[in-house]
Order: sequence, then C-alpha cells, then structure tokens
Amino acid sequence: MLKNYLTIALRNLGRNKIYAFINIAGLGIGLACSMLIMLYVKDEVSYDRFHDNVKNIYRVVRQERDKSGKKTGNDPNTGYFQGPKFAANVPGIKSFVRIQSGSRDVKRADEITSSELLYVDSSFFSIFSFPLEYGNKLNCLKDPYSVVLSEEEAKKQFGTANAVGKIMQIKEDDGFKPYTVTAVVKKTPENSSIQFNMLLPLKVAAEQEQNPENWFNIFLNTFVVLQPNANLTAVQKGMQRFYEQDSKNAVKILTEKYGPMNNKTIYQLQSYADMHLSTDFPAQNGLTNASKPLYSYILSGIVLFILLIACINFVNLTIARALRRTKEIGIRKVIGSERKQLIFQFLGETFLLSLLAFLLAILLVQLVTPVFNNLSNKALSLSYLLDVKLISGYVLLFLLTGFLAGIYPALILSGYKPVDTLYNRFIPGGKNYIQRLLVVVQFALASFLIIATFTLYSQFNFLTHEKLGYDDNNLVMVNKQSLSKDEAKLFKTELMKNPSITGFSPKNGGQWGTVAKTSSDSTMQFSYETVDESYVPLLKIKLQQGRNFSKFYPSDADNSVLVNEAFVKKARWKNPLEQKLNFWYDNNKKYTVIGVVKDYHFQSLGQEISPQLFTMKDNGFGVAFIKIKAGKETASLDFIQKTFKRLFPLNPYSYTFKNEENLKNYEAEAKWKQIMLYSAVLTIFISCIGLFGLSVLTAEKRIKEIGIRKVLGASVNHVVTILSVDFIRLVAISLVIAVPLAWLAANKWLQNYPYRINLGWEIFVSAGLLVILIALFTVSFQAVKAAIANPVKSLRTE
Amino acid sequence: MIALKNIFKWYNVGGNRNFILKDINLDIQQGEFISIMGPSGSGKSTLLNIIGMLDEASEGTYIFQDQEVFRLKEKQRSQLYKDYIGFVFQAYHLIDELTVYENIETPLIYKDMKSSERKAIVADILDRFGIVGKKDLFPNQLSGGQQQLVGIARALASKPKLILADEPTGNLNSKQGEEIMELFKQLNKEDGITIIQVTHSEKNAAYGSRIINLLDGRIDTNTTL
Ligand SMILES: Nc1ncnc2c1ncn2[C@@H]1O[C@H](COP(=O)(O)OP(=O)(O)O)[C@@H](O)[C@H]1O
Ligand SMILES: [Mg+2]
Repeated sequence: MLKNYLTIALRNLGRNKIYAFINIAGLGIGLACSMLIMLYVKDEVSYDRFHDNVKNIYRVVRQERDKSGKKTGNDPNTGYFQGPKFAANVPGIKSFVRIQSGSRDVKRADEITSSELLYVDSSFFSIFSFPLEYGNKLNCLKDPYSVVLSEEEAKKQFGTANAVGKIMQIKEDDGFKPYTVTAVVKKTPENSSIQFNMLLPLKVAAEQEQNPENWFNIFLNTFVVLQPNANLTAVQKGMQRFYEQDSKNAVKILTEKYGPMNNKTIYQLQSYADMHLSTDFPAQNGLTNASKPLYSYILSGIVLFILLIACINFVNLTIARALRRTKEIGIRKVIGSERKQLIFQFLGETFLLSLLAFLLAILLVQLVTPVFNNLSNKALSLSYLLDVKLISGYVLLFLLTGFLAGIYPALILSGYKPVDTLYNRFIPGGKNYIQRLLVVVQFALASFLIIATFTLYSQFNFLTHEKLGYDDNNLVMVNKQSLSKDEAKLFKTELMKNPSITGFSPKNGGQWGTVAKTSSDSTMQFSYETVDESYVPLLKIKLQQGRNFSKFYPSDADNSVLVNEAFVKKARWKNPLEQKLNFWYDNNKKYTVIGVVKDYHFQSLGQEISPQLFTMKDNGFGVAFIKIKAGKETASLDFIQKTFKRLFPLNPYSYTFKNEENLKNYEAEAKWKQIMLYSAVLTIFISCIGLFGLSVLTAEKRIKEIGIRKVLGASVNHVVTILSVDFIRLVAISLVIAVPLAWLAANKWLQNYPYRINLGWEIFVSAGLLVILIALFTVSFQAVKAAIANPVKSLRTE
Repeated sequence: MIALKNIFKWYNVGGNRNFILKDINLDIQQGEFISIMGPSGSGKSTLLNIIGMLDEASEGTYIFQDQEVFRLKEKQRSQLYKDYIGFVFQAYHLIDELTVYENIETPLIYKDMKSSERKAIVADILDRFGIVGKKDLFPNQLSGGQQQLVGIARALASKPKLILADEPTGNLNSKQGEEIMELFKQLNKEDGITIIQVTHSEKNAAYGSRIINLLDGRIDTNTTL
C-alpha cells in the first residue's frame, strides 16, 4: 500500500513540477525561518546557563524608592561594599565576586594600545565556570600584579596561547608596570553575559575599605553565591536589615554634606540565569549582550506569519490541484478504497512534500546562518541542532506543518462522491470560499509587513537625515585621557599649521550629567559639558540669546555657563540671562548664565532633547574635536595621528567621525529595518508563488471556457482580465483589512520616538500599489499565457 | 442475488422533486447477464450506481445477498462492495499515474492482500487478457480497446460475483466492442459472474440473457431472451 502511494505521490510531483516547486520552496523557506528562530530563542534562553553553579548565583541589585515608598528607579549596579559586607554578615551567602569594567593602556615594543578589561575578585574562577587553557584557577588572580588573558588576547600579545609566566607592560599611574600572565582562558561561550579579553585583580585601597560612603558609590556589578539550601527571601531580608544598620553612619555623613537624602535603597537578588533577558535590571557596565524578550516575541511572530503563509499555499494549491485528481479519487473509491485510506494517502503525500521541504530548510539554514548571525548579533550554527530538545522541536514542527497543511485538503478530497466525480457532473470547490479566504489572509499578512517595513524605512531615514541643529560633517574626534588646557592649546597650534585642518575644540570625554539648584529653589538634572570658547562656533550651534564664551571676559573661564533652550524651559526661567545657579556638590559657588544656545540633537533622535549646560571651568578635557576640509580626509587623518604620537607618545591613539558615531545610535533600528525587509520580501514572495500556483490551476480549470470565449471572438485583453480580476479583487480586500491594522501598529510603534515621521497616506498608497502590482504581475503572467494559447488545442483535449 | 423494491430516486431542484427513478422493482438471480437499455437521461446510470452502492436511492429497499443495503453501516457496505462488485466504465477510468500492472493491482491492495498473492493474481489476469507485454505502460500509451480491457481486468482482479458495466463499449469501434462483449459472455458462462451492463446497442444487448428497458425512470419492458 505504502509503495503504491509513494509511487503515485512521486509521479504526481514529477508531473506537476510547478506545484511541487512552489510547495517545497514555500514551505522550505517557512521552515528554515522557524528553525533559525528556534535557534535564536534557544540561544536567548540558554544564556549564562553553562555555569555549573548557575542556580545559586545571584546579582545584587537595587531598587530606589522615595519617601512614600513609591518605586523611583532600578539600578543593577553596586559598589565596593555590598559584596564583602553581605557575604560576611548575611547568613546564606557563601561567597561573592565583584566585576568592574575598565580600560588600561598596554605597551608592547613601542606601540601603546588601550585595552578593555574587567577587574574581578580572586573568587572569579571558583564562582564562574570559564575553563582555563593554562594556569591554576584557584590562585591565578591572587597576586595584585597578575593578569589573566583570553586565548585570543594571548595569541595577539605573545603569538602563543601558552603565555603563562610572560610579562605585560600595563599603565599604572604615570608609568608602565610589569604584570605577569598567570592564566589563559579558553574562548568564552557566545551565550555568556561576561565576555573579556583581559582580567586584572580588583584592588581596593585600604582607605576605601574604611570609607562608609562606599555604600553609596555605585559603579560595578556584584554577584553572590547562595548556599544551596538558602531561602532567597530570607537572604534578601537579611541583606536589607544589615544594610540599614551598617549604613547609618554613612547616611549621617552624607546628609550633613549634601542635605537630606530623598531616596531609600531596597536590596534585591536577581538570578543570574534571568539577567540576560531582564528589562528591569539589564546586563550592563562590563556585562554584555543584554537582550529583551521582546525580540524573541517579535521574531517568533514574524516567523509564524511566514510559516502560516507557506501552509496556506500548501492548502490552497493542494485543493486547487485536487480538481484534477477528483477522477483518481472517484476511481479509488470505486475499486474499494475507504475514506480513511484516502485521507491517509493524501496526508502521506503532504508529509512527503513536507519532508522534502524540511530537507531544503536544513540546507537553507546552513546557507543563511551567517546573514542571520549578523542580523541577530549571534554566533549560531547548525551544530547547535545537536540537542535533544531542539531536534524534537524540529520534528514536532515538521509533523505539525505536515499535518496542518495536509489535513484540510485530505478531508475535502476524500469526501468526494465517485458518482459525482466520475460522471463529470461535479465542479469541485464551487465558489472556493475557503481558498479565497486564505488568499485574503495571506495577502493581508504580507501587506501588513510591507507597510511595517515602509514605516520603519521612513522613520530610519528621518532619524539619520533629520537636521541635528549643528554640523557633524568632517568632524573628527580624537580621544586623549585627561587632556589639560595647555596640552589642548599645544595640540591645536600644531594641528592648525596644516591648512586642511580648519578648526579645533576640546571637550570633556564621555557623557556627563549632574544636578543643580536653579533659582526656583528646586533641583534639576542635566547634561554637563566642559568646553572652551571655540566649541559652539566649531559645531555651528546657534545662539538663541546672550553670547558665547569669550577670551575677552576672563571670568568666563571660572563662573559663566551656557545653557540650551530645554534647560531654560525645565528651569522655568522667563529671563534666562544673568540667572544664577549653583551645583549640588558645591553649595557656595554661583554660576551665571551668559547665553542660551538653540536646542540641537546632542543625543540620539530617539531621545527628547534634554537640558544641557556648558562650562569652561577646567575639569579636564577628554576629546579633541577637529574639523577637516572635505576631500582631504586621508591626509588630514594621517597628519592628526602623527601630531598626536609626537605630542603624546604615551597615549593610545584612536579617532572617530562624529557623524559616524551619530549613526551608531540607530544600529538597532538599522537591524530591525533589515529584519523587516527580509520578512516582508519573504512573505510577499511566498504569497506570490502561491498566487501564481493558483492562477496556473485556475487557468487550467477554465481552459475550455477560455477556448470557447476565444472562438467566439474574445480578445486577449479580455481573457486576461477575466482570469486576473478575481485574484486582484481578493488582494484588494486584503489591503482593506491590512491597512487599518498596519496603521494602528505603525502609530503605536512611532510613539516610542519623540521625533518621528508623519504617518502620511503615501506609505499606505505606495505599499498598496506595490502589493497590487506584484500580484497583478504574478497572475497576469499565467493569464496571458492562457489567453494567447491556441483555442483549438484546448477544446480538442476535452 | 439482488432485489430492488419500490426504488425511487429524486433530486430537489428549486424546491421541486425531480424524479429520476420511479418505483423500480427488480429481481436479479446469480449468473444472469442483464442489459439495461433506454434513451439518454432515462436513469440507466443512476440505477446501475444504486445497484453498485455508489449511490443511494431516495426511497425503497435494496437487498443484496440477503442484506438490506441501505441499512448497512458505511463500513459493512464497503466490505460487501469490495467482496462482490466490480465496475467498468465507458470512459475506462484508469488511474493515469499508474501503469497497467499497478492499476490492476490497486484493488487488491485495498483488500489488504499480501504482495506475493497480489503478484500471482495480477500475473494471472495479465496472462488471461493477453496484455503481459503492456504491463509497464501507462494508460495514455494504450488504445481505447486496450484501456477498456485493462479496466475489465482491474474489475476482475478482486474476483467479484457481480460486474456492473456502464456503456463499456460506448467509446470503442464495433470490432473492439465485440471483443469486449465476447469477454463478458465468457466471464458469465465460464466463471458464473453476474453481469449487468448499460448499452445503447441492440446487438450488444443480445449478448445478455435479459433486457430491461427504462423509459423516463420506469421499467418499460423486462424481456427474458
Ligand atoms: N446530481 C444530480 N443532480 C440533478 N440531476 C441529476 C444528477 N445526476 C443525474 N441527474 C439527472 O438524472 C437523469 C438521469 O441520469 P442518468 O442516470 O445518468 O441517465 P442515463 O445514464 O440513462 O443517460 C438525467 O436527466 C440527469 O440530468
Ligand atoms: Mg448514462
């Protein structure tokens, strides 16, 4: 029996190559996408679970509450105190490790590079399961002048992985000190939140260990290991109790210094395994790859779309093609087949197709994994498949798609009565409501995704092309740690000797923020920039009122500030000029506002422009902004580097272009843009091959009618219209359904952006036209073929 | 073997009953060779299909081998059908995707017969019909007469007691038609298979032992030859 079915199934496929191709390709793509997403989701939920002890590892996190007990914020970071103090005083906590991110200059021969690294406690390797290639995990971090390298870094530094015992020159204070490599770590798994090339022992100065204020200096991550039988709630309570007791002294000191504290800190423990996907307490500050469960949901949703569309093709084509198999079904019943056996046969055929699609999918996954990895920021591979859970997941997926796509046609087909089908009395499928409905669903999904893609593209285009309010072109930023005023002056003089360099301004490195008392007697937060008088003109930032800093007002250097419009608004100043304000940390000094700059986008366009303040006070600079002439980039960069090396031989050189850095703000959007584009292209492609298949089968079914019409004198145009109009109507209906839904979704998404495009009719009209055109092209292709065929031939075959 | 009592068949067309068969009463004994004749649209195929259990009457009783067919469950009826009845059609109705051999084999598969048994039976039939050389051809590679031969061979494969043939020679030329009729006669005489055929040709009808004339859904004449 099986052999008989298999023979007929294979011969059928061979005879209906288009049908087979469409079904296998469509389903194959759908399955491939699903497999990728399963890989992705598996990777996401497996994060950090490779540590033997993961069940007992927790991160110490803090929740801030105001006096009324209302939550005001979450902070996943801690300081020097939390780890050692909790471990020593709270029952249930076995050990702790602190991880602080940093960077140090490393000298090799005459070259100095800046290396990102982590400072960790010596318990690091006994808590986390990072296997060592060389060295001893118990004592490799005990010596303060020891350094642990990743395999890769060891090869880079010494040309060999076995670097234990070798010496590295690492900057400390003003010179370089020798550190001994004590261990080399095997490549960290991709699904680890802790990634590093270099580890140094975390050193805490003796006076810091005594300073009670360290309860409130927050800058690192602390992990603790609980006793296996510890009660989580009890431990958290114990932590809180101990903290409140032990920090009393610190609270007193700080209150005297800065006034009463508004916030209360609640200590909690976050399971290490939950950290990667946590939105409350994300992995940050030395911990990497923080993700959101939302990504998994969205990707799964899109893939469900694609798979659904492929299954719809399957169902639709199988039913449509069944028109040609009604005879076979009739005959089989006449010669003794039961309905059950027919259902079995048709399901079997579906499974055969699914199996072929499945094989294709595996091939596709293999092929597109690099692209997908790039999109998803992961290093997935098909070898990940060798996992019982995942394999059973795939088998389930296969069975499910085979069943879903096969059962409906099987039930329909096996229900035909032989008396109807064998006497040509029967036009199966009559109106084909289900088939039409499925086409509508399919195209509605595809249109939805296309509109979503268009919206994303427009918004992305807006984000990356909107006027920023300043000029970020040809602006090079060169980092130099603690660039003093004199150094900046020297650097500028030297650079300006080159005519290709047209401007220079120093600025503090990184993003600073602070709090000040404005005259309204309330405090407010703002970004805090240290610049000199050249900064505003160099970036072509516009002044709204007042004046820029100036050399001719010596007092500017000490007590003048510029603010932006957002600042003025937040401070509720009617006349900002000459307003006085003092900073939170220095109650006695007054600063005077001398000018207001127009709001410009100093942050990403994903954020509303926030209050910003500039001073010229010497807090030390960190970056040099250098304007170069367009077209002279290579020569100028070369000159800048040479000058830098000559003036600051002990500092690593690195530069970025401001406009490129700005673009980095939209990396997430750029990625989603790509993902949406791929999904939209795939869905419309699968929908269209489905539509194409249907049009082929319809044209076939109506071949006699077309022949007669032509004999009666119908033109080619007329026949094409007759054959296409039905499908186009369905596509139009699907647009009517998709447009409002897409509008709602797009609007909701755009609400995330304070600066966004107007969701105009253009997007919908162009997406609609595109869908209709593609559909029209798809169907008319077959319709034209049918229309120009010789009618005599088609009539004779009957 | 077969007893039809007060068989009516109608279709509802726009609320009206459109009668196809009206009060058919008919007894058929084992070993008979019956020809049904009548003008086009008189209900011949419908009657044949009811006898062949492919269709149900709207009213009446049908007794086949002492069993009341319309009262049987789907499963039992299908079993009865598989064991006793073979069909032959005017349009042959072979499965295009299967070879001659496979077409003949298929009903045996549905009878859950073992592969070796099937092989023997099919080989036997191919031999008997002289189509061994054609066994690997597909239906569209055969002439009409040859296709009908395969159709009959297939009907015979499951060793039926009753063969129902709806205008088996309608698409054939007279020489091919005669061959088929000779075959039927032989099956009827030598193997004792009951045959009911629908035909338009007086000459073909004369091969049988009884001629039933349908007119407008009623039995007009019932003549034993
Ligand atoms: N499913 C149906 N619905 C309505 N009328 C039908 C159906 N099947 C058959 N008929 C009608 O029944 C009549 C008898 O058909 P049939 O038994 O095929 O006649 P014959 O074989 O004698 O030419 C015809 O008029 C035909 O149109
Ligand atoms: Mg007829």
